[in-house]
Amino acid sequence: MLFVDLVQSIVDGLLFGATYALIGIGFTLVFGVLHKINMAYGAASVGGAYAALRLIVLIGGPAWASLLIAGIAGGLFGLLIYWICFRFIPLSNPLATLMSTVGMFLLAEEIIVHTTDGMPQNYPVVVSGIADVGELMIRGDLVFVFVCAIIAMIVLLYLLYRTKLGIATRAVSQQPIAAQLVGIRLDHINALTFVVTGALGGFAGALIGSAVGLLSPLLVVPLTIKGLIVTVIGGLGSIPGAIIAGLLVGVAENVFQYFRGVTERDIYVMLLLFVFLVFRPGGIFSSTAKRD
Amino acid sequence: MDFYLGLAQIIGVHTLLGLSAYVVLLTGQVSLAQAGFMAIGAYVAAMLTVLSGWPLMAALIAAGLVAGITACLVGFPALRVHGLMLVVATVAFGEIVRLFFFNFDYQISRGSIKVGPLGGEGFRQIRYFPENGWTTLHVALFIWAIVALVMAALWWMDRSRAGAVLRAVGEDEIAAQSCGINLTAVKVSAMTAGGVIAGLAGGLYAHYTTHIEQTNFTILVATFAIAYPILGGLSSVFGTVAAVIFIQGFLVEGLRFLGDWRNLLFGALIVLVMNIRPSGLLDARTMAALRRLFGRREG
Repeated sequence: MLFVDLVQSIVDGLLFGATYALIGIGFTLVFGVLHKINMAYGAASVGGAYAALRLIVLIGGPAWASLLIAGIAGGLFGLLIYWICFRFIPLSNPLATLMSTVGMFLLAEEIIVHTTDGMPQNYPVVVSGIADVGELMIRGDLVFVFVCAIIAMIVLLYLLYRTKLGIATRAVSQQPIAAQLVGIRLDHINALTFVVTGALGGFAGALIGSAVGLLSPLLVVPLTIKGLIVTVIGGLGSIPGAIIAGLLVGVAENVFQYFRGVTERDIYVMLLLFVFLVFRPGGIFSSTAKRD
Repeated sequence: MDFYLGLAQIIGVHTLLGLSAYVVLLTGQVSLAQAGFMAIGAYVAAMLTVLSGWPLMAALIAAGLVAGITACLVGFPALRVHGLMLVVATVAFGEIVRLFFFNFDYQISRGSIKVGPLGGEGFRQIRYFPENGWTTLHVALFIWAIVALVMAALWWMDRSRAGAVLRAVGEDEIAAQSCGINLTAVKVSAMTAGGVIAGLAGGLYAHYTTHIEQTNFTILVATFAIAYPILGGLSSVFGTVAAVIFIQGFLVEGLRFLGDWRNLLFGALIVLVMNIRPSGLLDARTMAALRRLFGRREG
């Protein structure tokens, strides 16, 4: 019986881990293009989900529409963060943008607490039901989350590798000055990156809301930290790394929860980060551990 | 009067917290673990005075040492890699410490009541000051004596070779490395010094509030810690003090009539200051101008 329970938590973790992968991709993309961390990303993602929830409750509509609205709201928040925290601050000063996004993180979190009185709010169920596969139970909502996340990743990869905009984005992340010389407007690409990652984050936030069943301001800090852990474990700037690391963190979280209980699981997930920092500081896909 | 003395205690402890981040920031690294080191200092000092009956001074020194050693251990793996990794690693570490104390039970019976840390309920009955007949004034003076000591030490360090080395690493790592400076050693030393100061801040904090719990040491506190020196500017320790007095004295206490809305102000203020003065309020240029101004008056 024990083995079945273990497999069960691995499967659940793998399915839910797809949302961490999305958040990790958001952090890693911004890092790839700007070489900066957007600390406000997790808060903006949850904020996008909240905005969608508000709108759905206000005007009514099918539950699945909240996912799309969250994506749009997340994109808008992303643009807002770019304008407020990056656009007018010299990028040569590494502390300034870090601090401004941390400020934005606190601001966004406080706005969420303020508008909801700090109470958790129920998120509409999109897909429900449980399928039995042998002795395992596969939760329908988690499968839905997983499939949606995979679709979002495929759309993103298509955008990055098959469109002109994607080529421009990758050019900027490789050589900003050379990209400018061939006529790519840095400012546009930076803003676009924030819109795309913001939309991804809002979508992920809504997926998490639909899987957990509620949204709470308490989601913000753990989501930010897990997103950052995924980014580091996957290797800063690596999208495939972020995907694998996201699934890994999801599995690790559930397995640790199975063995050590819900109050202790996050300690071990974070210790996993230190294991990677010591033994594989460049992330999963680094060929050699580079020292900086 | 007691209100202002209480405020002086808060400002004193937050100044120490800000200074602990200041040392690390001088090397160009950002540590969001200062709240974690503060928590370690707070729990160690409180457990030593309450459970083992140590005198306060010895407990504070022990708290500083334990926090410093922890900072050194965290710094090693995190600082070997890119500077941004440190941000991530320290955020995670701060949460590890908080979650650890959330799960940490160690109670012993003292007469009819049990004392000691009790998980989510926190650590009550840290009654060293009332038991030994210290008044609020004594406590405030004691805290500020330690603040003055730490500030003097940092001010002196800034003027010595050690300060030059720290700033060299912060300005340009590659240039510093080619001058023969061992980057890892410098960064880990700064991290350790920051840990010791944060541990002291935690020890003092535990004793004047008499009750600590894990929610006192969230990421918000860590943000405060790095916000003080960054908002105040890194050119001198006085920038940090000015920022603490402004934020704790004016923003938190002075604007209390705004109620909950003042929490929004803190984040917005950071964003605003970073937009108009990316190098802090008292940046190098302003400090030079001030020095000229006062120099003229003296002469």
